[in-house]
Amino acid sequence: MSEPVILTVTRQIAAPPERVFDAWLDPASARQFLFATSDGAMQTVAIDARVGGRALIVERRTQGDARHRLLFEVIERPQRLVFLFAADPAPEGEWTRVSIAIVADGQGSRLTLTHEMDPQWAAYEEQTRQGWTMILDGLARTLETNDD
Amino acid sequence: MVERLDLTFAALADPTRRAMLVSLKAGEHSIGALAAPHAMSFAGAAKHVGVLERAGLVERCKAGRQHLCRLKADRLAEAETWLKQWEGFWTASLDRLEALVAEEKPR
Repeated sequence: MSEPVILTVTRQIAAPPERVFDAWLDPASARQFLFATSDGAMQTVAIDARVGGRALIVERRTQGDARHRLLFEVIERPQRLVFLFAADPAPEGEWTRVSIAIVADGQGSRLTLTHEMDPQWAAYEEQTRQGWTMILDGLARTLETNDD
Repeated sequence: MVERLDLTFAALADPTRRAMLVSLKAGEHSIGALAAPHAMSFAGAAKHVGVLERAGLVERCKAGRQHLCRLKADRLAEAETWLKQWEGFWTASLDRLEALVAEEKPR
């Protein structure tokens, strides 16, 4: 049992899939939304938008620079984007995987972001992480349906 | 904190154990009672309870001659908080993305 912990976030967006997709890879767009916070100042947005290419997004925040590193695995405009992801303080090489699926939905798009926090990328001293598995939705549903 | 969460998530990885936690949300149960809905032997159920116990999700207390299991909600809340933090992390970016691309839309 070494499946990852999976987090899924879904969002309806009032724009066509192409526009939603392009925002992730266009530095001018990405600097306005990706990892941006209200009190931070975006320092670096470097995106090498090809499979095997990397991106570095650094925002200056009061508590220090927040560095986000990406390594693109799949780029299929406009429906699918997969990248390995690491944010400080995760060391170099300690990746997790983010998959973004975009489908046309009515007048706009539906975006589903899946973040797999996979132990195989983690340089942990102990092997206890091998058992990391949880489907957030499954757990939340299970626990919620029992609430009443 | 992170190591403890590993144990928590490993324990939560199994659907039988999640179902046991749901049963325990309703109140204390004996191991036999936890085993019943899963057509599982006492030993099998005890093994799952052991995993939950080591993860800090469940504690056992003695009630007369039998052991009762009780949910320790703190650890579960810790795992949920951790996932919520990540959810918030992505939600913040998606909020901005939504505003950005919807803004560009010609009217």
